[in-house]
Amino acid sequence: MKLKETAKAVLYLSPALLIIGVFTIYPMIKSFFMSFYAEYDYFNDVVHRYGFDNFVYLWNDAVFHKALQNTFIFVLGVVPVSILLSLWIALMLNSITFLNKFFRTIYFIPFVTSVVAVSIVWRWIFHSNYGIMNYFLSWFGVDPINWLTSTEWAMPSLIILSIWKGLGYNIIIFLAGLQTIGDTYYNAARIDGANRWNRFIHVTLPQLAPTTFFVSIISIIGSFKVFDEIYALFDGKAGPSNSALTVVYYVFDKFYGEWNFGVASAAAYVLFAIIFVFTLLQFYVSKKKITY
Amino acid sequence: MKKFSLLVFLLMVSVLLVACGDDKEEGNASNAASGDKKQTETAKTETTEPVEIEFWHAMNGDHEVWLEDAAAKFSEENENITVKLVNQGSYGDLSQKLLAAAKAKTSPTIAQAYAEWMTEYNANNLVVDLAPMINGENGFPADASYEDISEVFRVDNTFGDKVLGLPFNKSTRVLFYNKDYFEANGLTAPTTWDELAAAAKTLTKEIDGKQVVGMGFENGLAHEISMWFEQAGGDFVDEKEGKVLFNTDAGLRALTFIDTMLKDGSARMAGEDGYLSGPFTRGDVAMYIGSSAGLAYVAKDAGNMNWSTAPLPKDVEAAAPFQGTNITMFANSTEAEQAAAFEFMKYLITPENTVDWAKATGYLPVRESAQQGQDWLSFIEENEAYQAGNAQYADGFIDVRLPGSYAMKNAISVELDKMLFEGATPAETLEAMSTKAQEALDQAK
Amino acid sequence: MKTSPLSKTFIYGLLGIGSILMLLPFVWMISTSLKSGNEVMMMPPIWIPETFRFDNYVEAFKKAPFATYFLNSVIVMVLSTLGEVITTILAAYAFSKLNFWGKDVLFALLVGTMMVPGEVLLVPNFVLLSNLGWIDRYEALIIPWTASIFSIFLLRQFFMKIPKELNYAARVDGCTNFRFLWSIMIPIAKPAIVTIILLKAIGSWNAFLWPLIVTNSKEMRTLPVGLTSFSTEAGTVYELLMAASTMIILPMIILFIFLQKYIIKGIAGAGIKG
Repeated sequence: MKLKETAKAVLYLSPALLIIGVFTIYPMIKSFFMSFYAEYDYFNDVVHRYGFDNFVYLWNDAVFHKALQNTFIFVLGVVPVSILLSLWIALMLNSITFLNKFFRTIYFIPFVTSVVAVSIVWRWIFHSNYGIMNYFLSWFGVDPINWLTSTEWAMPSLIILSIWKGLGYNIIIFLAGLQTIGDTYYNAARIDGANRWNRFIHVTLPQLAPTTFFVSIISIIGSFKVFDEIYALFDGKAGPSNSALTVVYYVFDKFYGEWNFGVASAAAYVLFAIIFVFTLLQFYVSKKKITY
Repeated sequence: MKKFSLLVFLLMVSVLLVACGDDKEEGNASNAASGDKKQTETAKTETTEPVEIEFWHAMNGDHEVWLEDAAAKFSEENENITVKLVNQGSYGDLSQKLLAAAKAKTSPTIAQAYAEWMTEYNANNLVVDLAPMINGENGFPADASYEDISEVFRVDNTFGDKVLGLPFNKSTRVLFYNKDYFEANGLTAPTTWDELAAAAKTLTKEIDGKQVVGMGFENGLAHEISMWFEQAGGDFVDEKEGKVLFNTDAGLRALTFIDTMLKDGSARMAGEDGYLSGPFTRGDVAMYIGSSAGLAYVAKDAGNMNWSTAPLPKDVEAAAPFQGTNITMFANSTEAEQAAAFEFMKYLITPENTVDWAKATGYLPVRESAQQGQDWLSFIEENEAYQAGNAQYADGFIDVRLPGSYAMKNAISVELDKMLFEGATPAETLEAMSTKAQEALDQAK
Repeated sequence: MKTSPLSKTFIYGLLGIGSILMLLPFVWMISTSLKSGNEVMMMPPIWIPETFRFDNYVEAFKKAPFATYFLNSVIVMVLSTLGEVITTILAAYAFSKLNFWGKDVLFALLVGTMMVPGEVLLVPNFVLLSNLGWIDRYEALIIPWTASIFSIFLLRQFFMKIPKELNYAARVDGCTNFRFLWSIMIPIAKPAIVTIILLKAIGSWNAFLWPLIVTNSKEMRTLPVGLTSFSTEAGTVYELLMAASTMIILPMIILFIFLQKYIIKGIAGAGIKG
């Protein structure tokens, strides 16, 4: 019986496995080996020597360190703000019925639009002389800010754009999470005489813990991989003086700009390791906390 | 029934698999076919059969319009040859795509390329030596000889005994200035650095309700930094020894000059405007130093504004860089394509066309006969803005071409950005630039 | 939960301000796309141009082959979605309803690879495709994207929920695996499949890094790649840039507004699993 089913399963699985095998699993392994290409002729695909040179290079490369640092700043800038904002909005949406769907739709729209296209729109919004960002700020007496052309503001610009873009997604997931909290919990809490704030702290938040956990994993991983926004916002560069250079941009630069496949692969694996650690960490923390 | 559904399923799967398999075979088949074509076409050297050549370029705006016209005219005159122009965006994009194509063995027939790119293509045997064609029976005609091309431009394309390209769009840097602003403030075009700095200061103020900045520098200042060093009386790189020479007082003076103007607000970078032709024609910037190829853009957008160009202000010395790309030919093309492409490359720089091109774009004629020809001289006589570029041949120099000069420029650019954007002092920037540039050169040795 | 009218008003006010902030970029984009060059460079900005210059759209179309880009995007979107749906349904069925050797290990392995960022695959995939001679061809844009572990995972979860009894009943009726999948599972799982289709379609339409790397010629570019190259070519002619952006953004917004039920359900469904 099992043998027969296995034969059948092979048939059912083969199309998906073929594609995944060739374009995901094989490159994953190949990339691992590539990160040890010490001398490589990329035109003819010939490896002359293997070694740890690429990792040593990354260890010493100030540009890579900057990319790492920027990536962490980006993650720290985007994820907490985005989660707090989206949770807040989701709670507000959850407490109204009239226009609920309408608002939900609006908040979600940025998420379905092309990153490249909206980043180009934001490039225009951030224009120091003629953009609306500085125009609105001028109402509050703020002097024009060089959003995209100064090293201080390039990263904040990117963070603002990314929060705006990803907010809707988090809201939807929080809303779904809120809907799974049954009224019984609230009723029980109400009988206990809990006020609104107490109900939020003692019922909503713990019940939302798994959702928050999911949202933060997805946001962190997504933020670590930021690229399209940067390319489009700074017109094919990583911001003035590499001030918006992230790890993925670094990988792209090394690969497509300098054709240094070894360093690019090594950097990609470093990214993978970081994401992996974060995922494990989060699993660990959530397992400890989300048990009641 | 059971068997039937299994059969259907097998069909589904096999369609999927075969679909992939087919593509692969098709790919191989077409490769094989092109291989055959190569052989058959090698057999007859004359370009009697229709040939399509692909030309990747980075010409935009009016520059692209001229190129399209030229390609169309060329195809009219040479019925068998079609020129397919592919705009790859910026030079950076073009460089990336050329490498990607070389890797995938789908290079175009010809492409624009800087000499420093050609150094690397040559090292990997990707480009064709044009010397046999130049000296062959279908070489240059007597009235438009190869030797007529200015020597600087020929040297730029010569690598040992190989000729790897022909010059096409060659420009120099000039000073664009807003005559209205200058005249209203009793100023004339600056001829020295001190005058430049003073004029920039004077003109940095509100004019007609606009907050004007006196002076503008193009983005990618690293590409013209050698010019500033030379003007300050310094040197850039010793090409023979591969030694960086700019870590001197002159170098410091150049960086300090730029840094001071940017810091005190009397100068700005092009920044988010991409090129300064935009802010200049809007009246946001009173003058800027940029490529003579910007003439076409400025002329188009200037409207009622009175503007002109002037030769670059000098400090200790006058120095003007000659820049711009050549056209190089890739080796993975058939002989018929190469012959056809060579015809097109010659066509773009016939004495008539190189002048026509220069008139339309602000690039320089690449032939000596054209530079001294009546047509060009009377044109610049009537068009003041074109005179500055022409006046600078005497002070012209070309960029270094060394193995590693691409990496060197990147290193310089990274360090220079630290001064431009992150407040590094000129002294430490110069030191770091010099060290990193030398490292890049040494690595390529 | 009861909320007082005062705080209700407050909530509506905040949500309203938030919505305006969310939509403002799009309004600014459309407004700019209809302005003349002079109106674009004006401070304070004008929101409603004196005359609506739809010519900007014509001009953008003239300057770059957006029709070709559009067609490429559609072809890539349709074919890769179709491929993915087929492979996903088959694989999800095997993982949920067949009891085969090595099933759990294989599934764990696949889910494990979901953690590997796609960027790791970029370089070797490029090398692979260039060796296959697929660079600058539809194959490169489509075939690597015709299977997704995430979709298989999603659909498997949905299939798992379909009660075993149905399976037995079908078998008693002499129904084969394939017929069972085709005529019972798929109709039941329709919402999940629609969700997968829509998420895939949006993803494909907006994909950028991959098409950027595997296309060289204008004929093969998709809309996002075409837009960035247009942005280099057009420089800072913002009215044209905004017109082009509008052309890419609007179809997805319209699609979303009509089909949001499925999209939101799908995302929410995937989310709760976490």
